[in-house]
Amino acid sequence: MSADVVNGRAGMRVMWTYIGTGLAIFSLMLLAGILLRAAQAGWLPVDPGTFYSILSLHGAGMIVAMAIAGLGTLWYLVRRETDLDERIAFLAYGFFVAGVISVIVSVFPGRYGSLWTMLYPLPFVGTYWPSWATGTWLVGNALVMLGFMLWCAQILGALLARYGGVRGMLAIDYVFRNRAFTDSGGKPPPPAMFAAAITAFDGFVTGTVGLVIGTALLVHWIDPSVAINPLWAKNLTYLFGHSIANLTMYMAVAGVYVGLPMCTKRAYHTSPQLAVAWWATLLFVIIAYFHHLYMDFAQMQWMQFVGEIASYFAAIPVVVVTVYGGVMLAHRSGMRWSLGSVFLYAGMIGWVVGGIGALLDATIPANVDLHNTLWVPGHFHTYLLEGVLLFTLGWVFVNLEQRADAVSSLLTRWLVGLGMFGGGALFLLPFYSAGAAGVPRRYAVEPPPGPFWASVATVGAIVFVAGFAICVIEGIRLTRLRKSEEAV
Amino acid sequence: MGNGNLVFEIFSVAAALAIIAMLFLANYRSREPLAQEVVTSRGYALRRYWFWLVFAVAVASFALTVPYFPYPRAGASANAKHFSVVAQQYDFAVSGVIPRDVPVIFDVTSKDVNHGFGIYGPNGAIVGQVQAMPGYVNHLPMTFTVAGHYTIRCLEYCGIAHAAMQGGFEVR
Ligand code: HEM
Ligand SMILES: [Cu+2]
Repeated sequence: MSADVVNGRAGMRVMWTYIGTGLAIFSLMLLAGILLRAAQAGWLPVDPGTFYSILSLHGAGMIVAMAIAGLGTLWYLVRRETDLDERIAFLAYGFFVAGVISVIVSVFPGRYGSLWTMLYPLPFVGTYWPSWATGTWLVGNALVMLGFMLWCAQILGALLARYGGVRGMLAIDYVFRNRAFTDSGGKPPPPAMFAAAITAFDGFVTGTVGLVIGTALLVHWIDPSVAINPLWAKNLTYLFGHSIANLTMYMAVAGVYVGLPMCTKRAYHTSPQLAVAWWATLLFVIIAYFHHLYMDFAQMQWMQFVGEIASYFAAIPVVVVTVYGGVMLAHRSGMRWSLGSVFLYAGMIGWVVGGIGALLDATIPANVDLHNTLWVPGHFHTYLLEGVLLFTLGWVFVNLEQRADAVSSLLTRWLVGLGMFGGGALFLLPFYSAGAAGVPRRYAVEPPPGPFWASVATVGAIVFVAGFAICVIEGIRLTRLRKSEEAV
Repeated sequence: MGNGNLVFEIFSVAAALAIIAMLFLANYRSREPLAQEVVTSRGYALRRYWFWLVFAVAVASFALTVPYFPYPRAGASANAKHFSVVAQQYDFAVSGVIPRDVPVIFDVTSKDVNHGFGIYGPNGAIVGQVQAMPGYVNHLPMTFTVAGHYTIRCLEYCGIAHAAMQGGFEVR
């Protein structure tokens, strides 16, 4: 067996373990989400305490699920370029599993209910859950962060060694001294490596920030006389939380960089524009969180101004380079619209649509109307459910289809599409409508017109799950198709 | 401020355009495939203009919206009447009746955890909001042109009765 095959196997083992775990957590959190929306519709009697405990689990669990899947894909892709020790990936995985278990225990039976933002001083004041649940939640989060930072450290180290330091990894010479660089036979890293590098770099920064605020909260939990400044706590919490959630998108987009060329039989190369776009993203991921504090007038004012313009500029690398490049790959390529390619392409649409919702909300005068209304879950569910998730599923299906050398029937594709896009739209639109009407987010019991829109959304979510179920069954069918052929 | 519907309309139009444009570009089975070089060279040529268009829209939106930022302006505070708002799990204490058609400033703080001071007008739309953070006082400048009862709703998750945390005041 050649070294290459062995390499590939290690990468595959890590990737499918991560993606399998991510999708399993996702499926459970999906059911939790439906429960929440049905409760808001008034269809299920859920008391507020239970509602907020489940919401805490749903929010944190979904982000972790998508992140684990994305990290698995990236690990595999980096492993194709350079050597990586599989044991470190499984050690990081161990941290994830331990962290997720700890978080689950804090909710069942702990009833922790301060949501994933755990905004100081909330987890300690006027709570309806025991103090140990707060501690268990914090420890669980810290474990996930430690695993994530271990992953980041491994990938950063490997990329720096492989491409010759920061200059090589970020293609700095390639951009500024393009002629000299290419003439001397230099090659920039392939596109997916930028996704890995930015995830690892920003992940390390935000992980550190997360551990700082997490440790401060843990210290306060042990000794309540140690006070934390609430404004600082809020800045650190959102720097950490926004960036992690945002990074899941940049992890998953690697699936487009590699998956779409597999469908279109076209090549996707690094260009100087692509490199510069990723430098911009490196910065914007870290500072875009300013928009979470628009309604904190005590925040330094320059941060509000920078927040709006940075949020706008964050869209430029996406619509001018990343998605633009993806569309160019697909445009008149004559590719087959299999489930894999449909997911990857539709994911770009979801990303753009959710992005439009985000940009409007990042406009300060509009934010006065939308801040902490259902508009916010509206925009981020759009690009998480119809963006990050679709990129992940698209990547999975492109691989399954290639190995089974088969695609799904037209009927299956239509059923999955109707369920996941049609049901998805029916689930998402009510968030925007209710948000524009001023219905607050995170309300166990909503004022009108909230409950009406919640019932529409619940129907949409159920249709979505039906489509997703067909998609899972189809995935299993494709996997087995490959197995039986191997047996022959 | 009270512009939720307008924002929703902008969103619907922009989202619909984006979806249609991207579906159109995907070119479902309709036309002959092109060589990648052809698509790339056309795409790169267009991209320059596209970049400057997006850039210009971003800068213009910023410039156009700055005048409407809700933050207190230096000097405005001196002659406006101040009203104190103290949020606490799970209600709001607002001092007095608010006069109509004159600039007022809400001095908003919290006694325990973070809350959100969200003002809903007589017609049910949000007219203004600011966070209530313990240890800080946020100054929210407002001018009410419509008399009536205004409802306050909490706009930051603050615990089990967050959804029931309401208050109100009269504008006369
Ligand atoms: C059909 C699937 C889903 C349903 C039915 C659902 C439902 C919900 C509901 C009802 C809320 C609370 C909204 C509010 O009143 O504030 C919520 C919040 C949230 N959801 Fe989902 N969701 C789904 C998919 C997802 C996905 C795919 C992700 C991420 C990958 C996600 C991440 C979150 C997050 C981060 C929150 C915020 C939690 C918080 O406010 O603390 N959800 N979801
Ligand atoms: Cu509240």
